[in-house]
Formats: sequence, C-alpha cells, structure tokens
Amino acid sequence: MSSASYSFRFKKIIIEHSISILFVLFVFIIITIFIEHKFKEAKRERHSIQQIVNIGNINFSDTLHRELFKETARIYYSYHPANVDSLLHFIESQRTKLFTDEAYKKGSISNELSSSEALNILVMYAKFVALYLIVMLLSYYLTNTLAVYYFVEKKRMGKGDNKYHNLILSVSKNDIDINSKMKATFMFIIKVVRNIFIGIIALFLFSPAYIIAYSMKSIFEIGNYAFMIVLGIISNGLLINYAYKFYTYLIHESRKGYVETAIVKGLSRSYEWNTKDGISIKSILKVNKKFTSHIFQHIYVNARYQYIGAMKQYTSFMITGLIIIEMALNIHGHLCYELLKNILYNRYQSALLIIFLVFLLVKASEILIDYWALRETHKYENAV
Amino acid sequence: MIVIQRKDIRWMVIWVLGAMIIWTWNIIFLNKLSYKLIQSAIINTSIEVIFAVMFSLAFGWLQSMALYFFDSSQRRNIFLSIIFMQNIIRSIPQIIGLLIGYVILTLLIMNGVVSSHLGQILWMSFIIGIFCSLEVSDLIIERINYFKKSDYFNAMLCCGVKERRIINREILLKSSAAHLFHKTISLFGVVIFLQCSIDFIISIGLSLDVSLSNFPVTLGGLLAKFDSKQDILAFGAMFMDITYLPRIFFEHLQGVSIALIIVYTLLCLHQIADGIAQEYDL
Repeated sequence: MSSASYSFRFKKIIIEHSISILFVLFVFIIITIFIEHKFKEAKRERHSIQQIVNIGNINFSDTLHRELFKETARIYYSYHPANVDSLLHFIESQRTKLFTDEAYKKGSISNELSSSEALNILVMYAKFVALYLIVMLLSYYLTNTLAVYYFVEKKRMGKGDNKYHNLILSVSKNDIDINSKMKATFMFIIKVVRNIFIGIIALFLFSPAYIIAYSMKSIFEIGNYAFMIVLGIISNGLLINYAYKFYTYLIHESRKGYVETAIVKGLSRSYEWNTKDGISIKSILKVNKKFTSHIFQHIYVNARYQYIGAMKQYTSFMITGLIIIEMALNIHGHLCYELLKNILYNRYQSALLIIFLVFLLVKASEILIDYWALRETHKYENAV
Repeated sequence: MIVIQRKDIRWMVIWVLGAMIIWTWNIIFLNKLSYKLIQSAIINTSIEVIFAVMFSLAFGWLQSMALYFFDSSQRRNIFLSIIFMQNIIRSIPQIIGLLIGYVILTLLIMNGVVSSHLGQILWMSFIIGIFCSLEVSDLIIERINYFKKSDYFNAMLCCGVKERRIINREILLKSSAAHLFHKTISLFGVVIFLQCSIDFIISIGLSLDVSLSNFPVTLGGLLAKFDSKQDILAFGAMFMDITYLPRIFFEHLQGVSIALIIVYTLLCLHQIADGIAQEYDL
C-alpha cells in the first residue's frame, strides 16, 4: 500500500464516521426541537388547566363545589355534554399529579437542560469513559492471554487426552489388569471433578452482570469502581465469548499452509511449557506477546490481525455490558442510571445528550479500530 | 455413542435434561403462585425470543439482498444509504437501541395504540430483530462473496441459472445451511441475553403514567421483582456460611430458578453453537 493510498483510506475513514456523527446529531436536534415544541404545548395546556384548578372560592375536594362547577360547565358545554366529564377527569388527574408527580414535588417540571445539569452529565461521562478504557484494556489483554493459553494447552494436551480415551476404551473391553482399572477410575473421577469445576466457572462467566452483582451485594459494595471493572470484564459472557473467538482464529491460522513451510524452515513447533523449544508461561503473560523462533509467533500475529475485525463488535458489546451494569444496579450518580431516571421524569433533553455521548464513544472506538486495522494492513502489505 | 461424540447434540441433551430437572424441582418445591408466574415468564420470553430471531433472520436476509442487488445495479445511492444506516445501527449499543424501543412502546401504550400483550411482545421482538439483523446480513454477504470468488458462481450464470436462484437456493440453502443454523443458535443466545437484560433494567420504570404491570411477565422482569432479588441476594449468604447452600434451593427457589434458567440456557446455547461449528468445520 502506497503512502498516498494510506492517507486516502485514512481520510475516508474519518469522513465516513464524521458524516454519521453529523447525521445522528442532526436527528437528535430535530427530536429535541419536536420534544421542546410538545413540551411547550403541554405547558400551555397545563397553564389553562391550572387557571381552572385555581379558580377562587372553588375547592375541588368539596363535593358541593365540584357539583356547582359541573352544573356551570354543563351550561357552557350544552351542545357537548361529554366534554364536561372529560374536563372534570382532566382536572382530577392534574390535581393528583400535583401531589404525586416527583417533578412537581421537586419543582423541576422543566424539560430544558441547564448548564449545571450538562456539566454534571459531562463529569459522569468522563468517569464512564475512564471505566470503559480500563475495562477495554484489561479485557483485551485477558481475552488474548486466555485464548493463547487455551490454544497451547489444547495442543499440548492432545496426546494426554488420547491416552485417557484409550485407557477408558480398554476398561470397557475388559482387557486390562486391576491396577490399570484403578488408574482409569481415578482419572475418570479427576475428570468429572474438573468438569464440574469448569462448569461452575462457565456458569459464572456466562451470567449477566446483574445476577453476579446481586448475589455478591452482601459481600462487595456494588457502586465500587474496582468491583464494576471486574464485573465489566468477567460478566455477560464477554470474556469467554471473545477469548473463544480469538482461539478460533488461532485454530484457523494453525491449519494454514505457511505453518508447515515454517516448520520445514526450522522454526520450533513444540508446545511444551517452559522448555527450550517450547512456549514459556512468561511470554504468554506479557502484554506484548512474543514467541521468538517459534512457529506460534506467526500464528499469533496473523490471528491478532484478523481479530481486529471483530474488535468493533467487541467494543460495542462491551459498552452494552457497562450500560447494563450501571442501569441494572441502580447506582446513583452514574451516567446510565441517570439516563434511565431522565427518561422516567420526561427530561428528554438530558436523556438525548447522554445517548449522543455514548454514541460518540462508540464512534471514537470505531475510528481507532479502523485506524489500527489500516496501520496493520499497511505494515503487512508493505512487507509483501 | 453418537450423542456423546457430537458436542452439539450432547449439549442439547444436557440442556433438556437440566431444564427438566429445574422444572420438576419447581413442581415439587415452589409455591403455586410463583410456579405459575415462572411458567408465564418462560412462555412470554420464548415467544419474544422466537419472534426476535425470526425478525433478525428476515431483516438480515432483506438487507443482504438489497445490498447485493443494488450494488450490482446502477442504483449505488440506495446501496450507500443502506450501508450508512447499517453503520449507524452498528454504532448504537444494542441495549440503548432496545431502551429507545421500550420508550416508544411506552408512548404507544399511553396513547392506546398498543394494548395487548402480544402486540407489546411483537413490538419488542421487532426492535431486537433490527439490532440483531446486522450479524445475519454480514454472514449472508460474506457467504455470497466467498462463492462469487470461485468459478462455481460464474459457471451457473453461464448455464442460464438466475442470479436470485443461485444466491438463495444454491448458496444460502444448499451450501450455507450449516452457517445459517449456527448463526441462528448464536442469535438465540444474544437475544435471550438482551431481552432479559432490558426487562431487568426497565424494572425502574420508563414513565410515571405506565406501570410495569402493563408489560407482559418475562424472565428478566420477574427476576427484577423484589422477592426474586432477595433470593439472588441469598447467594451472598452462602459465601459467608456454606451450610446455607441447601436452603437456597428450597427457600429462595423463585429467584434462583429464574437466574439458573437464564444462565444455564446461555451456557448451553454457546456450547451447542460451538458444537455445530466443530461438526461442520465452520
């Protein structure tokens, strides 16, 4: 890829994303104007009703006063008597609202977004972005590390599993001695216990965040950021699904022809732990994983390159997970819980601002991922 | 032996057996009212999930067909518009999309447009379908492009087979059935997760005028009820005192059953999908 083509593609990415941001912004402005218009209409209506509710000397709690008002209204609406009932019902609901509506109680019936509210939302947004970045980095490292570990372990265990199956097969055919039978039984028990343990861990990893959080509520403080980070990484199936995705990329790469060629050229192919020509645990745990002179280095790099394509879906799903955590746990002072509250109290301007900010975060992540993919492509296409 | 060797069938059997154990346990130990509630929640959730998956498949197919035919025709503007809209939907976190769907549903209920439970279930399935259809569309486009690279596609065109027939019958139905089946199973997992999460989340309410009792009972909604939350909280007590474990399966059965049904189903669906991927080497 030439540098002219590189910069052209980069500009294309920026333009594409900018257009969609502008489009969404435009749609949100239209919705805001529409809501504002509706709100003003409702305010006018409320004002006229308020005038009726507050008519001097009429107490709507008093049956006599209510009947008098009804009679007067009947004369006024002599051609449309049904309107009288509607009016009375409306007045009644309005009066109930005055006592029950939280917005009325707080005296904040305005839909308009004040500067202090906007600032408050921005502070919460900054915290949400920080939380997202930490969860993103940690979970990316963990998905990669788990996938690599699982891949190496599978390669290494391949022989061991065959041994176990052969032993079980011999037991079923009844052609082994008592010692081997004991060994097979022991291995079977170990395998069952191991599978039960893995099953419990898997159930935990597939649990939606709110189930884990509520079951741990009496042990941990759920509004705690450290707890939310851990929850963001391990829950909602995020870690296990994307680690598995990376693992499948590793499997696909390991079946490609270049692997055989590289082995013929003399690269190490052993997957034994911590041996000279094998894989060291230390290299797997490193942030920047390198497996020098080992065929796995090439498998890993190529799988990681393909994984970038899945990263957009990954980030979007991760943000979904974080939103679920904040909303489901009802943690006050957090961005997404405030979004729910704003929707509940019809403060749609604030709600739209929060949704737009979340959209911007996804877009920013997508731009970065596209840029990363472009850089990697540029690197490998040049190498060719 | 076949059942043990094929991972997808093995996990299907495990899922059915597990569900039957939970069901039998609930019949014996759960009070009648909670049992009935859980049953309606399972039925409503199943209907919503099945419809959502059907909508996802239908919308995904429609999008991919539109993208394919508009790309190869002169109407590039429509093609670009669809891509543009798809990218916007992709950038909206699914849960926010569903929340917007619920807000609109609340407005529809308030205005008397949607009143029946079936209508509400269909509406939410429709919204979930929109947000999950992109995965289906991506898969179909990927399969078409894969076959277009080979001589197979052009050879069929030369034989006079219509493009529409090559794509729908030869590529999708005959050569990609396993891929689509795998995607369908994965979609079930995603849809159940999203549906339960959004129903749990909106337990706080989306309007002061619409009560939660206006919505049909689902697993997520039932889990968000106070007594179910208390049951889940009891898990914490188990970590403090392990002897509390047996009591959880008798005294906190409602919440534990719902949580177990959700988590266990998600795990089994993942394993079934993985089994299909292994079986057909996807």
